[in-house]
Parts: sequence; structure tokens; C-alpha cells
Amino acid sequence: MDELRRTYHHDLDHAKDELVRLAAVVTESIPRATAVLLEGDLEGADYIIRGDDEIDARSMDLEERCYEILALQAPVARDLRQVIALLKMVAEVERSADLLCNICKAARRIYGHELDPKLRGIIARMGEQAQQLYEAAIESFIENDAAKAAAIDDMDSYLDGLQKQFVQAIFESHAAGRIDLQVAVQLAVVARFYERIGDHAVNIGERVRFVVTGWLPEHKGAERFRHRVEVTGEIPRIPTGPVELHGTGAADGVVGDDAG
Amino acid sequence: MGLLHRRRDVTVDDAVHRTAELDAARAEGARAGRALQRAQAALDSLPVGVVMVDARGHVVSRNASTHVAGAHGEVLVQEAIDRHVEAALAGRESQSAVELFGPPRRVLQVRGIPQPDGGALVVVDDVSERARLDTVRTDFVANISHELKTPVGALAVLAEALADEDDPEVMRRLAGKLVDEAHRAAAAIDDLLELSRIELGGRAGHELVQVVTVVREAAVRSLAGAEQRDIRVDVDEPSPDLCVRGDRRQLVSALANLIDNAVKYSEAGGDVFVSAPVRDGDVELTVRDRGIGIPTRDLDRIFERFYRVDRARSRETGGTGLGLAIVRHVATNHDGDVRVSSEEGEGSTFVLAIPAVVPASDPAGAHEDDEHDRPDEETFG
Repeated sequence: MDELRRTYHHDLDHAKDELVRLAAVVTESIPRATAVLLEGDLEGADYIIRGDDEIDARSMDLEERCYEILALQAPVARDLRQVIALLKMVAEVERSADLLCNICKAARRIYGHELDPKLRGIIARMGEQAQQLYEAAIESFIENDAAKAAAIDDMDSYLDGLQKQFVQAIFESHAAGRIDLQVAVQLAVVARFYERIGDHAVNIGERVRFVVTGWLPEHKGAERFRHRVEVTGEIPRIPTGPVELHGTGAADGVVGDDAG
Repeated sequence: MGLLHRRRDVTVDDAVHRTAELDAARAEGARAGRALQRAQAALDSLPVGVVMVDARGHVVSRNASTHVAGAHGEVLVQEAIDRHVEAALAGRESQSAVELFGPPRRVLQVRGIPQPDGGALVVVDDVSERARLDTVRTDFVANISHELKTPVGALAVLAEALADEDDPEVMRRLAGKLVDEAHRAAAAIDDLLELSRIELGGRAGHELVQVVTVVREAAVRSLAGAEQRDIRVDVDEPSPDLCVRGDRRQLVSALANLIDNAVKYSEAGGDVFVSAPVRDGDVELTVRDRGIGIPTRDLDRIFERFYRVDRARSRETGGTGLGLAIVRHVATNHDGDVRVSSEEGEGSTFVLAIPAVVPASDPAGAHEDDEHDRPDEETFG
């Protein structure tokens, strides 16, 4: 049993290390993508887009490793949460890398167009903020720090604010005739990409809290919903309990909660 | 009884002997421990990161320079170290570079070297400064040829055109352009000479200079440019008691350069604020604008000679690209410092900090300086 546990912890540590490395690559790529956008660096765009294939491959490997741990070691309680959280976080990191590619592709489309200093300033700040969020997510994960993880959410609201400010600045720039409609649309989408990257960092933070405390923000909504069903007797549109098709069990219950 | 005696004798002897041995071993151990501590302290103070790994892959020693700031940078460097440890343990020598985008941009060279005992040594060398200087050098050569060759090339073309021209009207126009380009070339050369003079001059003079006169003169010098672009230069004058030691002409030239820049990069109708607060014993000559701002990436490069954030705009805004290099040298000559903070689209703030002279220490000198202010203009140079 001791030997088994050791293998489990060894495998889990390896998986965690790999997740941290992937997240670090994404964190490092955020300012690069911002520079690609601001400086029209087509070579840099290629570098990031090609790099995404590696992230995809490594994410899939990591996911596979998590499945192996689940199948061979059948962890329970906190250990189970740990592996489930890893699985979820891989998806967040992989998606963030995709969004960085999208920023680079947008940079290609608007290549050669000059941007207002004001727009450039907000883009730079969105990039910095997104990177800080990711940096905080990595730190909270490495240190298993639920408090730090909770702080990411507050940091994210600043990024959300920047996105709104940016859209406003695009309108102003367009009204003054300083920006093409096509470029304006591309930029609005780019702002959304940054905002989404921030959200993924927040999700990683929430998973860290889940591992440490077993709590997810979604629990609140799920609780409200169950209470409503109880009080009003309304028939839920989607089944709330374990899905009958795959049989029942503790693991299914956890997955069902997550979806809520 | 005899036996017991003897045995006791032996035991005591033995005990004494053993104690001495133990003491020696302990002292030896302590010495070794201290030597190890010294070695580790020496390793930690090295600017090069060193990781030593034994044949089984366990880290034997690792110094402080193998760590970099920021969680993700640390992770990326660690990944490279792990890779090179693996290669070195397999008996291969390997090398790679880890580039951290920053800012500040960092380049770390990581090298794995197999050791005779089957272990591995990994060396992490921070080559950021070398990489930065390389860029500065190549850019400098490219920029200086751009700044000097462009007007000279224009002069040649204009002169050729003039030689083939008969129409007096066109000739007059070409001659006018010739004069413009000649002025441009002359301005670049003037700035270069000024810069080398300041560079060679070393520590600036020791006259007491009233900060208020520096601020006034610099503001007056920038007035024409500001009026032309309809920009208000708001000056918050410091107390006449406030003085610094140095070269007044250099200080005025530096501050005027900062104000000129603020005016140039402000939108028409904007404001530029000049003030000179005292903070931590320094007079902070501060110029703030609400102009286009400077991209973060360029912030640590703008004080380089001929560096341009946007070369396409350089002809439009004029200047030679030497202004901020001059400001930096003036700061250095006065044991001071020049700082900038900026955000694109929000504006920039430049601070030229020079150690303040306590007014009470030499009020007579300050007064004297004030009296000779205008008539002796040239003697301050």
C-alpha cells in the first residue's frame, strides 16, 4: 500500500509540475502576443501560433496521465479533487493558449493600420493585467494558497473594467474617423480575448480553492436552485441527480455538482 | 580487585582518549561545516547560477543566482535546468537560452556539463545586459547613419537639381529647401558636439544655481515652440531659496529638452506642467504632459543616443534624437538621476532629480549667483 501511495504521489507531482510549466508558457506568451499586436510583429505571431501545437500536444499528454491516475490509483477525497482539478485546469490553460493565437491572428488582420495612443495604452494594460492574473494563478497553485486564489477574482474585475473602457475608446476613435470599421471590430474581439484569458486564470484560482476547501463558487448557484425546486416544486429542465444512464456512484455525484 | 583496578584504568584511559578523538572529530566537522558554509556563501554571491547534481540525480548544491523573479520565469528556468541535468547525467554537454519577455527583457543561457564522478553541473548565465548592449550598438549605428545621412543625401540631391535648373522661381524654392536641410544637418552636429562636451566634461561645475532661474530660462526657451502648437506651459515656480550645485547652462539645456519633448508629443491645445518639488533631499525638476505617451517596451531605451520610438514620425516632430541622451548625461554629471513614467494615450512624466543644497548652508553664495545671473551668462558655460 505504501509503495502504491508513493507511486500515486510521484505521478501526481509530475502531473502538477507539468501543469505549472504549461501555465508558465502561457504567462510568458501573454506579453509576447501583446507586442505582436502593438508592433505588428508578424514573425512573433508565427512563433506563438506554432508554439500552440506544442501546448496542445502537452495538454493532451497531461490529460491522459490524469486519466491513468484515476483508473489505476482510484484516489479518494482530497486526492480525487486534486486530480479532477488538474483535469479541469489543463483545459483552462490550453484554451488560454488558443486565445493568445487568436490575438496574433487578429494582429495579422489589422497589420499596417495605425492605432491611437489611447487604444495602444489600454491594450498594453490589458496584457499586463492578464499576465498578472495568470502569474497569481500559478503562485496560488504552487503554494496551494486558497486566499491568494480568491484574490484573483478581484484582480479580474479590473481587467473587465479595462475591456469596457477599451470598447468605449474604440467608439470614440471610430467617431473621430481615426479607425476603420474593420479594425474596430477586430480590436473589440481582441479585448474580449484578453478578458477571457483573465477568466481562465480566475477559473484556475477557483479550482485551487476547490482542492484546498472543497468549495466552488458554483455551489452557491446550485444550492439556490435546489432550494427553489424544493420550495416551488418546479420540475427541473435538466436532471439534477446522478445520471441514471451511467449508473450511480460517488464520482458521478461530484461531476453532477460541477455541471451545476 | 587488581583486575578491577586495571580494567578501570583502561577504561579511564580509553575514555580520555576517546574524548580527545571525539573533540578532534567534532572540531574537524565544525571546520568542514564552516568551510562548506563559506563555499555556499561564495557561490551565492556569484552572479552566475550553479546547480550541482550527484550521479543519482540528487541536487547537492544550488546557489541563489539560479532563481529569477516571478513565478512563471522561475518555472521556465527550472524546466531548462532539469532538461540539462538529464542530458549531462547521460554524459552529453548541452546548452540553450531562456528568453523572458519582460519587461525588462531577460536572456539566460543555461548550460549542462557532465562531471567526472557521473554527476552533472548546470550553469545559468544572465546575458541580458550583453544582449541589450548588442542591440544598443547595432541600433546606434543604424540610427546615426539615418540621422546624418538623410540630410546630407537631401543636400546632394537638391544641389544637383539646382545645378540643372534655369527657372529662377524653382531655383529659389530649391535653395530654400537646401537651407532647411543644411540647418537640419547643423542641428544634428550641434547636438552631437553638445553631447560629447557634456560627456567629456565629467562632473559639472560647483556654482550654486538657483532652481527658479533654471526653470524660468528653460520655460522661456520652449515658449516659441509651445505657442506655435497652441500648448500652455504651466510653471509652478519653486522658492528662490532652493539651489543645486552644478552647471546652470547644462541644467537649463536639460530641462528645456524635457519641456520641448512634452510640447512636441502633446496634442495641439494641450497642457504641459513644470514643477520642482523637493523629495528625499533631491530637487525633482518635473515635466508632465498629457500627450501620446511612450510604449512600456521603449521606456528603458529612450535615453539612448538617436533612439526613436517611432522613426516614421521623427521628421514630423523634428529634433535629432539626442535630447534625452543629453538630459541623462546632465543628470549623471550632477550626481542626479532622470526617471520617466508613461502610459500610452495618457501622457508622460519626466523627473530630473538633482541633490538639493540646503539654502541656509551658503545663502551668500546663492545671493551672489543671483546678482551675476544675467550679465555673466557666458561665464557659466
